[in-house]
Amino acid sequence: MDVLLPALGNVLAPMALLTLILGTLAGMTIGALPGLSSTMGVALCIPITFNMPPELALILLGAVYVSSVYGGSVTAILLRTPGTDASIATALDGYPLAEAGRGGEALGMATLGSLFGGLFSVIVLIAIAPPLSTVALAFGPQEYTVLAIFGLVTIVGVASDRPLKGVLTAAVGLVLAAVGLDAFTGVQRFTFGQSELFDGVPLLPVLIGLFSVSQAFNLCVPAGGGVLTGNEQKLKGRSLPLWHDVRRSLRTMLRSSVIGSVVGILPGAGTSIASFISYNEARRHSPTPERFGKGELEGVAASESANNAVTGGTLIPTLTLGIPGNAVTAVFVGGLTIHGLIPGPSLFTDHAETTYTLILSLLFANVLFAILGLWVCRYLVVVTKVPGAVLGPMILVFSVIGTYALRNAVFDVWLAIGFGVVGYFMERWRYPAAPLVIALILGPILEVNFRRSMQISHWDLTTFFTRPLSLTLCLLVVLALAYPLWTQWRRRKLQR
Amino acid sequence: MRVQSNLLRTIVLGAAGTVLVGGLSTSALAVDYPSKPIEMIVAFGAGGSTDTMARIFAKYAEKELGERIVVVNRPGAGGEIGWVHLANAEPDGYTLGLINSPVVEVYPFTREETVGYSLDEIRPLANVITDPGVLAVAADSPYQTLDDFVGAVKDDPESVVISHEGLGGDDHLAALNFAEEAGIDLSFVAYNGNAEATASLLGGHITAFEGNMSEAASQIQEGKVRGLAVWSDERVEPIADVPTGKEQGYDVQAAASRGFAVPAGVPQEVYDMLLAVTREVVEDPEFRAEMDQLNMPINAIYGQDYVDFINDSHDRLKSLWEKDPWIEQ
Repeated sequence: MDVLLPALGNVLAPMALLTLILGTLAGMTIGALPGLSSTMGVALCIPITFNMPPELALILLGAVYVSSVYGGSVTAILLRTPGTDASIATALDGYPLAEAGRGGEALGMATLGSLFGGLFSVIVLIAIAPPLSTVALAFGPQEYTVLAIFGLVTIVGVASDRPLKGVLTAAVGLVLAAVGLDAFTGVQRFTFGQSELFDGVPLLPVLIGLFSVSQAFNLCVPAGGGVLTGNEQKLKGRSLPLWHDVRRSLRTMLRSSVIGSVVGILPGAGTSIASFISYNEARRHSPTPERFGKGELEGVAASESANNAVTGGTLIPTLTLGIPGNAVTAVFVGGLTIHGLIPGPSLFTDHAETTYTLILSLLFANVLFAILGLWVCRYLVVVTKVPGAVLGPMILVFSVIGTYALRNAVFDVWLAIGFGVVGYFMERWRYPAAPLVIALILGPILEVNFRRSMQISHWDLTTFFTRPLSLTLCLLVVLALAYPLWTQWRRRKLQR
Repeated sequence: MRVQSNLLRTIVLGAAGTVLVGGLSTSALAVDYPSKPIEMIVAFGAGGSTDTMARIFAKYAEKELGERIVVVNRPGAGGEIGWVHLANAEPDGYTLGLINSPVVEVYPFTREETVGYSLDEIRPLANVITDPGVLAVAADSPYQTLDDFVGAVKDDPESVVISHEGLGGDDHLAALNFAEEAGIDLSFVAYNGNAEATASLLGGHITAFEGNMSEAASQIQEGKVRGLAVWSDERVEPIADVPTGKEQGYDVQAAASRGFAVPAGVPQEVYDMLLAVTREVVEDPEFRAEMDQLNMPINAIYGQDYVDFINDSHDRLKSLWEKDPWIEQ
């Protein structure tokens, strides 16, 4: 630990602090804009770091990474336009709060949740990264298969008041997830010869369409409308959450941070699984589960602590094993190697000072975005008072630009607009959009890992139950499914 | 073919001595090129290894050309989308792109029905990197040599599971090539990219993995993974302990190569100038040092030699494909 002190010196140097602040601001902005993902933010910064000393380069990349995940929550709450899939679950409760004029409280809770999750995962990274990295290896295709099923089970929670419609949109999502080149045989499935569809229906254009573009239509259509519903056009809520609300959410934050850190360690599992599982667990443990989805501060806390806990988690296998935990950290590895730092145990021995500089800068970036966030959230809420006729077109413009920027493809823009129309009518006819997106994200993970399991086990279906870890996950799935039924049954019995 | 009228306007013959670029006096023609930024198409996402190489190359080439190079990522369909853009770009020298062999030359026949470009529409300029294939097992694996591995597959084909990082990609083709050479049938598990495959190998979920040297080198150097063979003519530097397939009696050569190409129809003067610039960059010791650091082995093949390299590989793989297609139709 004697490297922590020089590393601290690196982070607190004037240039480093300036880089940290600029990186945090840039990350928050990138996260808030639809389509500009954390991956793209980090990738855009890599050429800038070419001529920087390695410490500064890592501070910049780290700050952009953690604050971009947080930045997504701002627009998810205030406008129901999550910039990336990481903050969809945040919008589920955040936006109803904003509509009720309590956007400030929701933003404050999101900030505190993100801070909690971010700090938790960085501390885990500092304290027990090497032993925890074995978790990444213990997960084989069988475990990923069951984890994906676990994620799909959360749809029940997300669409609790309209279960049938939720299952229906999830089914549509699974069908969309089947589009693309079959990774195992090369057969083209529903691609209609369109090379843009070979990799499957791209997630972010669908996400931006269903949430941002449809929201833009929504805001434009009823003349004079805005985010705030009702006639009074007033911001009823406080600008910060009550201490009472924060305190009752602490358990949820802790649970979500653990889930986020563990899911983060698993390469390829994805941030959205963590936030949806955490959201569902928070609902399951809540004394008032019926309030979830209608503006429950705890739901915001669950999703945000989880998605920020993922940031530290993904860096664990990246730094200790050289196996990037997700797309962002894969770009990170590129940035590390350019500066002569080859990910792996040598980072903690030969380059310990630089590595701890990175880790400490994550810590500082978390605190910094929280301070900035708590400070500006009272002003940002004003956006909910802007008339829909002004806000709608602006969201549309940003959505189109963001979608095009994803991979410079006009096809994606049309896709987003198409899904915007679909999303608009889904909203009107009360079909929830989140299950579709969850299914679209988890479908390929489920399919690919199920088929890998079958290839490895030579079509032995018991393989999911003979491995201890996989069996444990199976039991968790059963528990998550059976628990709501059981509580319902007990409640009915008590009523008699 | 597009009419090259734009070109006549763009390429204005100037007086000798207005060459913007030092060290290019071999260029017989002093042309007003480049007079605006050049677009460099990368057919893979930002931050990947192709993208990293492109951006480092661009940094050096900008100095030589005296114009900005804008790297544009057009990822998707395993590179096809980017190559369609490259093939359809105006052949005026203001668009160039990276091509990845062997995948760029196999799509025209493996995706014959739908592919959006043909090799005639792309003119290869120069190869820069050749990243040889590596067959590796976990450090605690019982297999020490290729013979051990082949023996195990022959004894019980079901006991050995090998990953590749994309169907029909260079890793898959390398493993197929090896299986044919050894007379064995391998059961494959498909992964998307190196990270998940490496995690699966280290976790003991698969027996072996087929990947590229640049990706496997750090794991091999740290002793977590054992390279059974490198599919190159000679041993390669960062992992000189790993024997070649040839040394062990399996004559397999497989690699992923990355180089530059322009749309067919680019005027010869511009082609020559870009080739000269590429040569300057690739021979620059600083550029080589940066590539070394990334474990990307330089393999410079210029001009017509590179065109032949791509065409030969195309013909060889096509005849393999016609014998025994590796993707279901």
